[in-house]
Amino acid sequence: MPVKSYKKYISLLAFVGPAFIFYAIFLLIPTVAGMYYSFTDWNGLNPNYSFNGLANFIEALREDPDFVNSLLFTLKYVLFMVVLQNVLALMLAVFIESKTRTKGFFRTIFFMPNMISTIISAFMWTFVFSQVLPQIAEKTVMKFLDQLWIGDPKYSFYSIIIVSLWNGVGYMMIIYLAALQGVPQSLKEAAHIDGATPFQAFRNVTMPMITHAITICFFLTLNGAFKVYEVVYGLTGGGPGRSTQVITMNIYEEAFSNNFRYGYASAKSVILFVIILIFTFIQIRVMKKKEVEA
Amino acid sequence: MRQKKATDVFITLFLCIGAIISFFPIYLAIINSVKTQGEMFSSFVALPTKLHFENYSQAFDKINLLNSTLNSAIVSVIGIGGIVFCAALAGYKLSRTSGRLSNMIFFLFIASMLVPFHSIMIPLTRMAKNLHVSGSTYGLAIIYVGLGVNMAIFLYHGFVKSIPRELEEAARIDGCGEFQTFFRIIFPLLLPITVTIAILDFLWIWNDFLLPLLMLTDSTKYTLILSTNTLFGEYNKEWSLILAALVLTALPVIVIYAFFQKFIMQGIAEGAIKG
Repeated sequence: MPVKSYKKYISLLAFVGPAFIFYAIFLLIPTVAGMYYSFTDWNGLNPNYSFNGLANFIEALREDPDFVNSLLFTLKYVLFMVVLQNVLALMLAVFIESKTRTKGFFRTIFFMPNMISTIISAFMWTFVFSQVLPQIAEKTVMKFLDQLWIGDPKYSFYSIIIVSLWNGVGYMMIIYLAALQGVPQSLKEAAHIDGATPFQAFRNVTMPMITHAITICFFLTLNGAFKVYEVVYGLTGGGPGRSTQVITMNIYEEAFSNNFRYGYASAKSVILFVIILIFTFIQIRVMKKKEVEA
Repeated sequence: MRQKKATDVFITLFLCIGAIISFFPIYLAIINSVKTQGEMFSSFVALPTKLHFENYSQAFDKINLLNSTLNSAIVSVIGIGGIVFCAALAGYKLSRTSGRLSNMIFFLFIASMLVPFHSIMIPLTRMAKNLHVSGSTYGLAIIYVGLGVNMAIFLYHGFVKSIPRELEEAARIDGCGEFQTFFRIIFPLLLPITVTIAILDFLWIWNDFLLPLLMLTDSTKYTLILSTNTLFGEYNKEWSLILAALVLTALPVIVIYAFFQKFIMQGIAEGAIKG
């Protein structure tokens, strides 16, 4: 018996080993190391560093207005993105699904922006915002288009949202479309015969059937929105000043472009991680409960 | 009946406007990339009167197109190959083994999917430097293997459950070793999920920006995205050149999209719903 279980472990090791080695070196150890450094005053260069307990966390949340502002800005972004991305994606999916002949065409068009790298999308839109829209405003009656879309913090938030949506809605739309195809046609017909309006049928027949997809898409958008970096980097670079700086950018700046306070930057990244965990946990709990009820 | 018609018109209108917004930036990038700077500033929206491909030949050199594309391809191919190989082995075994150790390892892989890249980026940069994998395209590819196996294991783990155990038992009776059974019998059956994983990882690795930015310093090693980023920073106002570079950078994925659209969409839907 012992020989057999010994053999079993060897075989498990042989199969899982390669994946685990890469995973441990590049993901597991860095994760743990990041948490460890967050309690130190390590500056990345000096081999000597000491523990300073929760000092980094307290400093980040109490004495670092830039960090707190970036955190609040990110939360605002997350709120907008989670709601808008899901509403738009679901609307598009339902509308496209209702078409028969043009379904493929619209699906192709709406998903295409998602293929393009986020950073390239941001560069394309920089052109649109800084050059094209002001020119259109000048030549036509649409004067409202002439704004400092990128330079004015009042508008740049919306510019960031627009580009993020443009780039990201297609992905969620595909997931919703797949879920909608799983709703049996007979149920919709039954609802129609019973006199339900299209909206009622959607609300009471379709929605409960796709709650699983809604949970997934909320999870994906929530997680993705907290990690936003490239759109902001490409569009505003966090500016003007630090007015559009998101949390990931603040961490990057702290670690690589400012004073190499690795320990302090690690503490900030742990804060980000914990926030994502809490939000994800709540979201999954709430929506799973809804799924069961539905 | 009239109300139905009105809804129909509304839906069509909504979709058409959405489609225009969706395509507008791509259209602008393409048409303006073949205009001269002067023609461009007289109107961005109008079609070009004459095609100027100088922007392209200039952008071609400036982003070192062939070299950058090759780098991106190397990173993607090795990265995806490594992920598929490692994760298929591990996902299969973890799915077939019960017991506390196996469950614990699987949980560890899954839990790490929630870790944001920015939380590991600082120690990862140090680690890569210490192991001398930073600064090279191959090193970059290996890091992608480490970061990508968790999701792939998750997908393989789920998929393996749908494969009957009898197949392996039959192979075992016929004298196949465990590895032989895996590579001859199981791995070919995993093809659908392998395609899904390869697609998802290709889109991720090819379009990724931050990891190459942190790892690569030598511009001859730059990926396509990184080269274009550098060009964007250097030629701030030369829009016709920048747009040509953007179109060139977006082109490979658009071509792949044109050919594999069905697989890509299926891959995304499957990847999400299995999750």
